[in-house]
Amino acid sequence: MEKKKEEREVLGSRRGRKVTIKKTPTFINGLDEILNGGLPARRTTLIVGEPGSGKTVMGMEFLFRGATNGEPGIFLGFEEPPRILRENALTFGWDLRCLEKDGRLFLMEGRLDPEVVVSGQFSLKPMLFIIAGKAKEMGAKRVVIDALDVLLRLFESSSQVRSELHQLNKWLTESGLTSILTLKPREEPPLSLFQDFFYSMADCVIHLDARLFNQISTRRLRVVKYRGSSFGRNEYPFVITEEGIRTIPITRFELRHKPFGERISTGVPSLDAMLGGGYQRASCILLAGEPGTGKTLLASTFVRHVCNRGEKVIYLSLEESPEALIHNVTSAGIRLLPFLKDERLHLFGAMPEATGAEEHLIRMVDAVERIKPQHVIVDAILACERMGGKQVAFDYLMRLLNFLKERGITTILTNQTTGTKSQIEISGNGISSMVDTVLFLSYISGEGETNRIIQVLKSRGSNHSNQVRQYRITDEGMEILEAFVGAKKDIHAG
Amino acid sequence: MGKEKDRSSDSLKAYHFKLFVAGNEPNSRRAKEMLQRFCENHLRGKYVLEVVDVFEDYKSALENNILLAPTLVVADPKPETKIIGSLDDERKILEVLGISEVEEKE
Repeated sequence: MEKKKEEREVLGSRRGRKVTIKKTPTFINGLDEILNGGLPARRTTLIVGEPGSGKTVMGMEFLFRGATNGEPGIFLGFEEPPRILRENALTFGWDLRCLEKDGRLFLMEGRLDPEVVVSGQFSLKPMLFIIAGKAKEMGAKRVVIDALDVLLRLFESSSQVRSELHQLNKWLTESGLTSILTLKPREEPPLSLFQDFFYSMADCVIHLDARLFNQISTRRLRVVKYRGSSFGRNEYPFVITEEGIRTIPITRFELRHKPFGERISTGVPSLDAMLGGGYQRASCILLAGEPGTGKTLLASTFVRHVCNRGEKVIYLSLEESPEALIHNVTSAGIRLLPFLKDERLHLFGAMPEATGAEEHLIRMVDAVERIKPQHVIVDAILACERMGGKQVAFDYLMRLLNFLKERGITTILTNQTTGTKSQIEISGNGISSMVDTVLFLSYISGEGETNRIIQVLKSRGSNHSNQVRQYRITDEGMEILEAFVGAKKDIHAG
Repeated sequence: MGKEKDRSSDSLKAYHFKLFVAGNEPNSRRAKEMLQRFCENHLRGKYVLEVVDVFEDYKSALENNILLAPTLVVADPKPETKIIGSLDDERKILEVLGISEVEEKE
């Protein structure tokens, strides 16, 4: 019977059909998407990772989120005492005591007294009976057994360990609990003999690891096995934030982007005319230009316009501090402070080199999900290279833009160009496939004066003016003047 | 009930044992036999033995942090100590109780 079921599942996955098994959501941000719904319900999941890779946090978050979503749970830890577990959980804002008092969580001490003496043979049946009794008493649905290897090391012979593991497996299968066991990847003998057994008793196996990449610590998780279910097969970066584990399952570039929406004013009416009515909602606009041409100002003018309409904006400033940015645009007549106060504008200043690109990405994604803005500004994209190099910047931007486009959010990027205006540089970091509209701002000198000019280099899905227009920066913001017919510059439109 | 007590005049007993067993499992059965024999040989009239079956009383096991069975809790003399396993080796019990075989023969 059991064997037949196995075969059907294998066949099912071979044909690429989805075999539906019952799942228990972890409620851990992003993880359920990777697991296509959660962990196998009433089955065992194995989490394997080195010390410090986040096994305990993941196990505890599984229980915390379960408990707050109507599924009580039991945590049996062989390494840390309940007191330490509670303290650590508090750093994520998880008040375990409160859940323990309500009978939604039970922390069980697994550590043995250090002076304990061993004489003869024994079994871990009491442990199973305690969990079973407690689970029945509190209606628990989840159990985490953290670092069971510590206990198993007490057994003297591998045959004892084998017999205990069979007991454990049988009990877990019959208990009806959704369970997580954690394990270190390289156990010493005799436990190393049972790595295969652990892998086979678990319906789902997740590997966690933490490593240094470009001197920035990166945590990754990978699902290596999921019996009867499809799952994301990539290595997914994750971070441990102030609120627990956070991962983003997007590394694939599926084009599930929202179509462009209606036109929305740039905040500068004469520029709207050049663009055939303004920016398009859900599109990505790049403002490229030389230093001091007013890219930040143009972006801020748009911010003022949409905030006046009651819409929400996230402005990520990677080069200037929020204070400096507010001050600079205020002197050009764009007052953003009122929008910050009524929380229509959320201005984040981030030092690109402060954390890895993953953490930057996750913070942005979290902010977008929390604030639900209609528009996002990233100023300036060249700074992303300071997160760890060109490739890292490219990955970060591609994933961020992909995420924003999937949510139909209008995105404005700014990018600084230097003297030579190659198309690649203007489009910025090789992300041109994601960019729908490019505005190019530059200086032009002639007849004893320097003028600022603006032109539309690219605008997907719309007619736009090919004219090069002159503009001025006044106390009231940007003002576009007549078509510029002066010295011709060699600029390719694309 | 999961508890069996062998009490005559408890107040004078210097040794208080709690043996946690897993039902009638071989290791637990063996520990019980070994302990009873040990007590009769070495501590006659001076001990209290309580047997707790964790299958019937998981709460006592939980309170005493007993995850493995059999486990012998030596509640008295203090400090409280634990011996895990089927108690095959009598010398280990003597050691834990701080009794030397020489002392005994006197």
